[in-house]
Amino acid sequence: MAQLPSWMGLAPALALGLASLVLLLSDSIDPDTTNTPALAGISVVGSLVALASAVGFIIGGTGVPTSEGGQGTPVLFGGQLVVDQMALFFMVIVASVTALVVLASYDYVSEHSYQAEFFALVMLSATGMTLLSAANSLATAFVALELVSLPSYALVAFLKKNRGGVEAGLKYFLIGAVSSAVLAYGISLVYAATGVLRFDGIATAISSGTIQTIVDGSVQAQSGEPAVPMSILGVGILMVIGGVAFKTAAVPFHFWAPEAYEGAPAPISGFLSSASKAAGFVLAFRVFAVAFPIGDLLATGGAINWVVAFQILAIATMFIGNFAAATQEKVKRMLAYSSVGHAGYVLIGLAAVSASGEGLSFSISAGMSHLLVYGFMNTGAFLFIALAEYWGVGRRFEDYNGLGKEAPVACAAMTVFLFSLAGLPIGGGFFSKFYLFQATLNVGAWSLAAALIINSALSLFYYSRVVKAMWIEEPTGERSIDSYPMGLYTAVVGAAIVTFLLVPGFNQVSEIAFQAAQLL
Amino acid sequence: MAAFTYAPAIVLLPFVSFLVALFAGDRMPKGGALAGITATGGSLLLSIWVALTVAGGETYNQFVYTWVAGVESLQLRFGLLLDPLSALMLLIVCLISFLVHIFSLGYMNDEDETGLPRYYAGLGLFTASMLGFVVANNLLMAFMFFELVGLCSYLLIGFWFREAGPPSAAKKAFLVTRFGDYFFLIGVVGIFATFGTGLFAPVTQGGEVVAESFPVLAEHAVIDGETESIAMLDTVGMSAQAWFTVLGLLVLGGVIGKSAQFPLHTWLPDAMEGPTPVSALIHAATMVAAGVYLVARMYGFYAISPTALAVIALVGGFTALFAATMGLVKQEIKQVLAYSTISQYGYMMLALGSGGYIAAVFHLTTHAVFKALLFLGAGSVIIAMHHNENMWDMGGLKERMPVTYWTFLSGSLALAGIVPFAGFWSKDEVLYEALIHGFGTEGGLGTAYLLAYAMGLLAVFFTGFYTFRMVYLTFHGNARSDTARDPVPVRWNVKGPLAVLGFLAATIGFINMKPVAELTGAHIDFLHVWLNGPDEGGWPAALNTGLHHYETLLHDVAHVTKGYPLGETPTLLASAGISLGLALAGVLAARSLYAGPDPVEHTDKLGGLKTVLMHNYYQDEYQVWLATGVTYPVARAMDKFDQGVVDGVVNGVSSVSLFGGSRIRRIQSGLVSNYAMLLTLGLVLLLAFFGVMGGWF
Repeated sequence: MAQLPSWMGLAPALALGLASLVLLLSDSIDPDTTNTPALAGISVVGSLVALASAVGFIIGGTGVPTSEGGQGTPVLFGGQLVVDQMALFFMVIVASVTALVVLASYDYVSEHSYQAEFFALVMLSATGMTLLSAANSLATAFVALELVSLPSYALVAFLKKNRGGVEAGLKYFLIGAVSSAVLAYGISLVYAATGVLRFDGIATAISSGTIQTIVDGSVQAQSGEPAVPMSILGVGILMVIGGVAFKTAAVPFHFWAPEAYEGAPAPISGFLSSASKAAGFVLAFRVFAVAFPIGDLLATGGAINWVVAFQILAIATMFIGNFAAATQEKVKRMLAYSSVGHAGYVLIGLAAVSASGEGLSFSISAGMSHLLVYGFMNTGAFLFIALAEYWGVGRRFEDYNGLGKEAPVACAAMTVFLFSLAGLPIGGGFFSKFYLFQATLNVGAWSLAAALIINSALSLFYYSRVVKAMWIEEPTGERSIDSYPMGLYTAVVGAAIVTFLLVPGFNQVSEIAFQAAQLL
Repeated sequence: MAAFTYAPAIVLLPFVSFLVALFAGDRMPKGGALAGITATGGSLLLSIWVALTVAGGETYNQFVYTWVAGVESLQLRFGLLLDPLSALMLLIVCLISFLVHIFSLGYMNDEDETGLPRYYAGLGLFTASMLGFVVANNLLMAFMFFELVGLCSYLLIGFWFREAGPPSAAKKAFLVTRFGDYFFLIGVVGIFATFGTGLFAPVTQGGEVVAESFPVLAEHAVIDGETESIAMLDTVGMSAQAWFTVLGLLVLGGVIGKSAQFPLHTWLPDAMEGPTPVSALIHAATMVAAGVYLVARMYGFYAISPTALAVIALVGGFTALFAATMGLVKQEIKQVLAYSTISQYGYMMLALGSGGYIAAVFHLTTHAVFKALLFLGAGSVIIAMHHNENMWDMGGLKERMPVTYWTFLSGSLALAGIVPFAGFWSKDEVLYEALIHGFGTEGGLGTAYLLAYAMGLLAVFFTGFYTFRMVYLTFHGNARSDTARDPVPVRWNVKGPLAVLGFLAATIGFINMKPVAELTGAHIDFLHVWLNGPDEGGWPAALNTGLHHYETLLHDVAHVTKGYPLGETPTLLASAGISLGLALAGVLAARSLYAGPDPVEHTDKLGGLKTVLMHNYYQDEYQVWLATGVTYPVARAMDKFDQGVVDGVVNGVSSVSLFGGSRIRRIQSGLVSNYAMLLTLGLVLLLAFFGVMGGWF
């Protein structure tokens, strides 16, 4: 196969961006269009092209060094973007979730106006996520992050007449503004301390202990070799953690999440809680694995042991997310909190590292695998909520009573999602959680392992409440389901099938993830 | 080899009859009996064919079906092992089962019992399971069928489930044997974990061993010290021989339960609540033999463990004596036979433990015949007596039921061990083997053998006594009740099986007349030849299940050696003479006490001993006390712990969780300014924490 030009590495992002531009164009030509099939079609095609190209690149070996039989890693714009296996892995997650979400939105928004804007915003946000996956510098990362965030604020408040949605959107925006400020300040401190924004440059500064600069694309020490002020760097890193925590909805930056997820249209909740969370994590994985290498930080001393910070965050996030989910009365809010809890599980990816900095690749790959599985099972669960909202079924657990008799296929899919989220071996969630558990055991992080087990057990309790309501309880009131929307059903069933197929297929996923993490 | 191709049908035919009786028994004449008779008849013919093929010097050991394919070498499979031992056992089981099916026509159909399809389904499933157990070529398969026969036993003991006794007896049988099987299961797991295989004999293809068996691996480990591949030994930190002894004793737990050996024998007398043909088939001739058969099947594993051998011999000898004394005072005919069964299986265990492999198999064979005969004879008497089993209500049946009397007498003479009936030859050989090995073997093992021999010898006297007490009370003297004066006649389907078995009881002992062979020098010890095979090469060498191999093992590892206190032939004759003399003494004692026209009870003369014997040495009482006095309080304490501590912790955790959850919910106040404050506060706390830790300030 001939070597493709390196910008082709961004094909997934380009496909998504192009789709969003086409949608914007059509919106400007015919602002009041209600041709949902065309709009949704463009979006689905765009995300599927992105998905196909990302999968193709992974299989084709893009991002694997040529010395290891791969196609080499495309590096673009002076090292601002890098398309390695990890970037592609997350592009797959983002593109799959986007495809599911826009497919399901076909039925969800067909009654509403401003449809073209809806789809365009989703695609723009997805473009931001794919760029974030490939970002190799704090500046690019920040811009990409804002590209992810700004459309999502609008999407949460998309139903303008819905007071809850608008309120949630505003809160989301305000908290997002605070968090962005924290992140921007953190970035500026890191820059002040190291003199560079590119991840590899920051790493060189930390390992050498001198402030660096970039000349003609290559990192070199500043003249006079001034030393890196470690305390400033430490504060900067901690604030970067804050920015990441906002995007991944981790404690204590999680306050926006339950309300935004609950107030937003359900497909958007799925989009935010799966794809947006994954985008936050890819930034975290890349920044902390590449730019702030824990081994060098520990060797130099003085700055910060961010592993401890992530351990605190992981445990707090697991407990707060799951405990709050256990006492909810509304299904969607329960899922919103459980999504916070899952952020805690994935944070193990950065927390399960031994005292000498060993085991990072394994734990990151565990976190990546969990995010992939989670992308399907959690999106699927939110899409089921969308289905319930579409039918006008209420929001509380009791309102789901007896739903299994009327919509057995969708409820079976939901059962797969919920049990997989809880970590039962009916879906890939069992293996990804087990993989995370293994990561904690490998480095002897007993507190993380215990938190994982306790919270998984607790989560089984509240997930089962939905299953019990659907299949065992008798319906309380009159309810009639008269239509079975095609797009939503396809998305829900498709997600369920993939969730289930990830049981036998998990091995391949974890292998790719491990390779990607090792190549960082 | 054609016979071996059809060998699975031996097991499957009775299984089909089970299905037929279960699902179509209602619509068939005789409630499914004919299907059972046809199936067992077919199995019998196939077994004869297999036996003839084996007699031609061929054996078979192949896997038939893999039901769990393991990741590594461990695979769980069904397979057939057809060698002289299993071929002989197939013959016994098929023959007895066939005759019992015919007898059931008289015992069940002619008595207009209800639920016949259920009865014949049970018999069919039992026969299939027992045959499956016999042909099993690995321990796990054997265990599964071992459990299935236990289930069938439970179902058939409780056949008359509307009465009070049978369901309770069925439960007791199930629980007591399960207690033993629990150890067996651990043993099976232990053997699989140790050797990675449960094969009884190596599987060979074209002369190459493709799957090794665990007795052979154990043998290599103990004799040649090849323990590298057995990682389990490091785990348990024992020498190979000590660990194999532990495993052997664990398996022996199942054997003791199933073959009703002390102290797990208590279920068998109660099992007599079931229909008498069932008692004959399951609780005398076959299922109870499963335990003994299992020890014989994996004899190579026990042969390398002197401790296990001593335990087997002592348990056997003690049970033989112990059960015989309890049989002395019983009033019901089937109870006498039940204790006699326990006692006779004690002899087989004694033989196995003391290195008398042939003697054990020989006694297993003869006992299956004569005890099935005695039970069927008792069944015939019970039909005649309108299901009254008390011997003190009988008497004088000799003239009124001549066929039953003469066949029963044949069985009784065999049981008592009177020359030339079957039991004499086999029991004599058991005692002879124990005696010479007791004298020849050095150290504790020899002493154990002599002790076991003494108990077994004493039991011969009691056996003769209780057997003929039973005969005199049932058939001789004057009738002591109206039903005994006018018994119900029995038909051909009762007399036929009795006649066949009566003839066999008198003659089956001729297959291994060791004393005669010894005296005349004629090679008429056919069973010996059958199990020994050719001395060199050939099939026993390939399978490692031949007698010759076992004798070498016994001699080399456990140092079981023969010793003749009086020289070879005189010892043999003396041993036979002593046991025959004791048996005759027992018979004569019974005659002097109970032979008159109007015998009276003599048990009061025993004084306090009578009470003890009537209560079976308080065995049931102490086991019930163990259950209610020990297990139940412990279980209650456990339950308290579970309810209080475990549930308390769980409930506490869940209420703490829900409380914590509701508190966390409250943080989510809905006010965005609160969120911003908490967010900033969290960040500041982190900053302060790491600032102090990292020394930034």
